[in-house]
Amino acid sequence: MIDVRSVSFRYQKDWVLRDVTFQVGKGEFIGVIGPNGSGKTTLLKILYRLFSPQQGEVLFELIPLKKMTRTDVAKRIAVVAQETYPLFPFRVLEIVLMGRSPYLGYLMFESERDLEIAKKAMEWTEILNFSERPIDELSGGERKRVFIARALAQEPEVILLDEPTANLDIHHQIEFLDLILSLNRERGLTIIMATHDMNLASEFCDRLILLREGRIYKMGSPQEVITKETIKTVYGCEVWVDQNPVSAMPRISLLRKERHEIETVGRD
Amino acid sequence: MKIITRKKVIVISISLTILLGLVILFSITVGSVKVGPLRSITILIQSILGLKGAGTDTERAIILSLRVPRALLAGLVGAGLSISGAIFQALLRNPLADPYILGVSSGAAVGAIVAILMGLSTLSMGLPLASFIGALLTIVIVFNFGRQDGKIHPNTLLLAGVIIGSSLSALIMFFISISQKEELHTIVFWLMGDFSFSNPHAILMVFPYIFFGFILLYLRARQLNLILSGEESALQMGVDVERLKLLCYLLASLITAASVSVCGLIGFVGLIVPHSVRLIFGPDHRLLLPSAALIGASFLIASDTFARTLLAPTELPVGVITAAFGGPFFIYLLKTRKVLKTL
Amino acid sequence: MSLRGAKSRRNPKKESGSLTLAMTMVFIFTLLWAPLSHSASLKFADEVNREVVISFPPQRIVSLAPNITEILFSLGLDKEIVGVSMHCNFPEKAKSKVRVGSYISLDFERIISLKPDLIIATGAGNTREMVDRLEKLGFPTYAIFPKNFGDVLKSIGHLGKVVGREKEAIRIIQGMKQRSQKVIELTKDLSRPRVFLQIGEAPMITVGKGSFADDLITLAGGENIAGKEKEMYPRWGMEEILKRSPEVILVSSMNPRGDYQRVLQEWSRWKMIPAVQNGRVHLIDSDLIDRPSPRIIDGLEEMARILHPERFKKQ
Repeated sequence: MIDVRSVSFRYQKDWVLRDVTFQVGKGEFIGVIGPNGSGKTTLLKILYRLFSPQQGEVLFELIPLKKMTRTDVAKRIAVVAQETYPLFPFRVLEIVLMGRSPYLGYLMFESERDLEIAKKAMEWTEILNFSERPIDELSGGERKRVFIARALAQEPEVILLDEPTANLDIHHQIEFLDLILSLNRERGLTIIMATHDMNLASEFCDRLILLREGRIYKMGSPQEVITKETIKTVYGCEVWVDQNPVSAMPRISLLRKERHEIETVGRD
Repeated sequence: MKIITRKKVIVISISLTILLGLVILFSITVGSVKVGPLRSITILIQSILGLKGAGTDTERAIILSLRVPRALLAGLVGAGLSISGAIFQALLRNPLADPYILGVSSGAAVGAIVAILMGLSTLSMGLPLASFIGALLTIVIVFNFGRQDGKIHPNTLLLAGVIIGSSLSALIMFFISISQKEELHTIVFWLMGDFSFSNPHAILMVFPYIFFGFILLYLRARQLNLILSGEESALQMGVDVERLKLLCYLLASLITAASVSVCGLIGFVGLIVPHSVRLIFGPDHRLLLPSAALIGASFLIASDTFARTLLAPTELPVGVITAAFGGPFFIYLLKTRKVLKTL
Repeated sequence: MSLRGAKSRRNPKKESGSLTLAMTMVFIFTLLWAPLSHSASLKFADEVNREVVISFPPQRIVSLAPNITEILFSLGLDKEIVGVSMHCNFPEKAKSKVRVGSYISLDFERIISLKPDLIIATGAGNTREMVDRLEKLGFPTYAIFPKNFGDVLKSIGHLGKVVGREKEAIRIIQGMKQRSQKVIELTKDLSRPRVFLQIGEAPMITVGKGSFADDLITLAGGENIAGKEKEMYPRWGMEEILKRSPEVILVSSMNPRGDYQRVLQEWSRWKMIPAVQNGRVHLIDSDLIDRPSPRIIDGLEEMARILHPERFKKQ
């Protein structure tokens, strides 16, 4: 569905992404992981056409992204990113309705149908009873759901998530990702998520792309990508990798410096 | 579920227009000369219909040549300043923004002062014209500095505007220090903002900018809502953010330039009216823009009316009244409703 | 219009009577002693009741205002005037004198370099602080503060004494008195037209009670429609003027670069004002009506001519 071909990108002098190539199939749940500065967020920004790569191209169902109009892109790809604090707080319904924007063009007012779609999006994200409340009165977790609803109102085929679980507690992290997962499984939405949290990525994603200094270091299933050696090479630190006892997916445990000396001694 | 619908906007706009009409009627019936309310209104209606008859020549002159143009001009300027204030607050994402924040007003002031020092009468059209040119030049300069790689960065633009505005203020101080006593009085008077020389020419000059500016901005009201959530958000929802910003900045600056060049620097309106309207009607620009325009017009007409009647026959500068009434009212709003928790 | 006025405003009328006598005696005394001492120090009380000690007669005088300069020149002084304010424009010779500053700011260094033995200031324009500072610097400073036509005559008299030109002063005063009496005579039985004097365009400023021009209007046989206003320079809107329906409008030409044709044209919009209807909107030189100097009698006569043309057909 999405075809990234030899994409290289830089903001000023230094290349942030180098020769990145991968495909995303319809309905996949991809996790993009890597250290700070590895280019995760930049990659997403290129995928939703905030920036254009200096080299290479991105194809969406075989059409180059840069040949599509902005509204076309918006009707297919929606983003849930870091939100700036609302200066003039809109109400939840108003924000979700903003997701209908690509379909409204120069029209000023939303139609009944737009309202219906927004309502459905809010049902899916279980925020219907918040619809009249101003956004600044909601908690972090609730706010995130509002923005997912807004993304859903765009009726996209792909949803991009940029560090969605930062600032959320465990409960909300799980809740959020369960929601995303159900959107993926039940609605067939393709999800591409950039995240720091490798355990979450491992639990929820079908495939992982590990970036290192702008290049793809490893790509594949969580079992293939998350190994002790890979982590050591890319992140430069020792971790303990085993399996989540319930799901059997790779699980990273952090080690204190002293601990992993003991651990290495103990293992040999 | 409550959302902003076409119907809601129309109903509220009509109500506010009725309010505006009442304020205009009020303003033409009071003044330092007592012309009865009935007679004033009759004179007005008759002149619209092309008749004559009611009132003496003096009374007709007072109503038709003094009070009506003054109300119309104050209304236009009040609407203009409120609209541009709302737009700047949205684009710069700064609640402290007002129409003068990008230095346009200082440019207009320099233009006016140069004209005054060259001997141009405040009654001629040369003065507003010079002022407008000063404002336009400032817009060009500030925008040149505020754009980088073809994109407008709000903070850079803001910085450029504030710095250029300050430099121009220094220039204004210089002019004040070298001017003679008589010119000095005129300069200070202009800087304080005044409507006592409202004439039909000024109204004709200002009207197109404010009217068409409003319409062009209103067509983009929905997209302006999106920008408030963040430029990247707006972009990913399909808005051509750079073009929208450029257009809106230019329109808002032109509206400010036109307003300031006919009546000087009237403070408070462009800051308080948008905030007050947001507190009552919410931040959605589809309702905010027309409401702010209509309420701003009413507010300034009322302020000007008080300015010329409170201490009759002496006329106070209208800026004194907008501050005196606007300030406390806004503080009251702040206390009784939640405004901006980010402040 | 003064930006600041001297703070003490007591009327030195009573004291100047006996003071004049005393001073005359001292003067005669000094004349007798003249061969033995070429200059003596004399004490004077100025018009704001300050005591000033002057080396008499003063040889190096600085004037801080245009009216003072005019008075000094009219008293026959010229080489004794070593410095004038930048606004001083009459007579022609005044323009070539050294400039010492404006109403708002004095060039103290320039003043010091001129080594004056007398500085003359006006209560309507120069500030108390200025005068105090000059005194501190060691310069005797004499202040006049005429507030109406009559006061102008008195100030000319005082200055005449202070600079040693009493005879000229008396001559000038007599002349002005005569001419003003003539004006009053000629107009006293005529009805007073309602007059509006405009001294500012934006904002519209006129003259109220206590200003020179107001006094002149009254002396010239007119009735200032703003004459009962407590402020000296009221700021009015057009409505008030329309209401009071002046029969004569005088526009004072204050700004030398101003476009007065424009102003006259603007007035023509208001045809319901009697003055406009009857073509009685006139320009008048502000230096003649707002400057307390010997030329104020010219202003008075000009005004009378405008207000009562039938009586003053000659000139």
